[in-house]
Amino acid sequence: MMSDMLKQYGEVIGFHAMDSLLAIAERLRGKRIVHVNSTRAGGGVAEILSSMVPLSRELGLDVSWEVIEGDEPFFACTKTLHNSLQGMAGGLSEGQVASYTATNERNAEKLKESLEGADYVFIHDPQPAALLGMMPGRKGKWIWRCHIDVSAPNRSVWRFVKKQVEGYDASIFSLPDFAQPLSHPQFLITPSIDPLSEKNIPLSKAEVEKTYRELGVPRDKPVILQVSRFDRFKDPLGVIESYRIAREHADIRLVLAGGGAADDPESGEVLSAVREAAAGDPDISVLVLPPDAHRAINALQSGADVIVQKSTREGFGLTVSEGMWKRKPVIGGDVGGIRLQVINRFNGFRVRSPEGAAIRIRYLLTHRWKRERMGVNARQYVLENFLITGQLRNYLSLLVTLDGGEGEWERWI
Amino acid sequence: MNTTGANGPFRFMECSLLPVSTGFRAQTLRELRSAVPEIPESSLYYHFWGRMLRPHIAESEFNNDFASWADGGLGDTELAEALSAVNPVKCKDLGELRSILEDILEARLDQGDFLSWKKADREFYFIACKKFMFDTGKVTSSLEDFPVAVKTASRQSFFHHFLDGRRRSPEGKDDFSLWLEQFGEGTAEVRRLLGRVDSYLFSLGELKGQIVSILEKGLRKGGKK
Repeated sequence: MMSDMLKQYGEVIGFHAMDSLLAIAERLRGKRIVHVNSTRAGGGVAEILSSMVPLSRELGLDVSWEVIEGDEPFFACTKTLHNSLQGMAGGLSEGQVASYTATNERNAEKLKESLEGADYVFIHDPQPAALLGMMPGRKGKWIWRCHIDVSAPNRSVWRFVKKQVEGYDASIFSLPDFAQPLSHPQFLITPSIDPLSEKNIPLSKAEVEKTYRELGVPRDKPVILQVSRFDRFKDPLGVIESYRIAREHADIRLVLAGGGAADDPESGEVLSAVREAAAGDPDISVLVLPPDAHRAINALQSGADVIVQKSTREGFGLTVSEGMWKRKPVIGGDVGGIRLQVINRFNGFRVRSPEGAAIRIRYLLTHRWKRERMGVNARQYVLENFLITGQLRNYLSLLVTLDGGEGEWERWI
Repeated sequence: MNTTGANGPFRFMECSLLPVSTGFRAQTLRELRSAVPEIPESSLYYHFWGRMLRPHIAESEFNNDFASWADGGLGDTELAEALSAVNPVKCKDLGELRSILEDILEARLDQGDFLSWKKADREFYFIACKKFMFDTGKVTSSLEDFPVAVKTASRQSFFHHFLDGRRRSPEGKDDFSLWLEQFGEGTAEVRRLLGRVDSYLFSLGELKGQIVSILEKGLRKGGKK
């Protein structure tokens, strides 16, 4: 008997796909799985886990989610880690290394019982990566899940991270470009969105209109939207530049909507720069939304005419998949995971500059039927490739694979 | 393992395929040529078969990743055409497929020095894979029910029986055709049509649609075994 939640997923992905997921989950019944990351709200990892953990439990699996606690110096350190792994110059100071180690030690003490007894532990990103070395009595398999674009990392910082993750049983990257030389297998699994979450369920036209009204965004002209944290790698200033170029030919509005994540101390600085750049232009709306404003983001995406994600580095653009799920073609930066999500002229455009984004904005606004056709393709592409059910299937398959040991690359179970 | 029950009911199997980074990458034809002998067999499998299970669109012009990269990355259409002419199903194993690839790449390198150092726009990442297969427990014995059973099989199950089935069978036949053989002449036309389907130039969803359509039309008058 399928539960109501599983039936709802089945209606989206097909009941045959749901049966497959159940069949794989069956092989992991009785095992204890723990996910660990650094924030419960805000950012893609927290969003994925918010969906994946309940879905896993619904499949009959024993899954828990732990969040490490850190102070301001720790998150300043891990933000430097994040930026440096995405290629920014600089390195960690001795103080930052000390803060990183001490915070992991404190959390190791707190989580010891849960993690040492688990059959499988997923550690998300570098923040809690040092926990492995602090669990001498661990019995299960540990997997490091890297969500960051580490295709060209700052080498000294990568060496530090490598030291933390070398001992894991496996790691997961979103793309082959991100994989780094490590002594364990590196699996390639793309992140996903949840079609049943507040952010992605279908909304009525009335609700979309109401949300725009409440957020103070008039719907008198086409809306160009970027939803993302105020992070320099999301290039919000580049988006404003694109809008200014495109506006010479089209009467449009720009909405930059986002919020901070609890583990991102830099967002205030970037937000100030964005506000300064947007000052005096009544057609630009900069919206700072709370981390749980999922329905408002859904409405913004559903009502937008063109969705942009002009990142200059991107592990994987969840907002790209969200926009595509709402049948919108997406103009994305030609970087990282966006290369896998956006196929030029099929479901959007990949661009390398504000000028490139501007010309694609104009193109999509003036070619309505192509915009609609690409939107249909976009939805189907996400359905087949980037939904939470598929990602969970891959995670569970990975655990089954790890249990099989090194052996042959193909085997019957 | 007898996966289909060629002389009994059709048992639906399924696979899970996970891509794994190999660490090998190439930006020139010479680098590609040097890596091919070194990569694990599962990487050859991934770039010819496994690609069907990863995000891709139906409009792929070529039937394997090497050909797609030669065209799109290296801009060498002639090489892309030669690589896309490789029919992996005709190879007795992945070792033979590797040799054929090596010969094509070597022959192309022999044709000019420029080709050996020309840099591609994007790197070719060699990806290996881990695959496991399992019995779904779904069974069908009736020709009448067969099209619906195939239609409601998961994409991974369809991949296993149709695309991967052709690789596993010494005669290059998919599992559906092999199972239908037991019904004799009555299914000969369906089997002929299944055998003619070009499996590499469509998305998995489109391919499944084609196969189901052939089964629905051809088995309409089928009966219980």
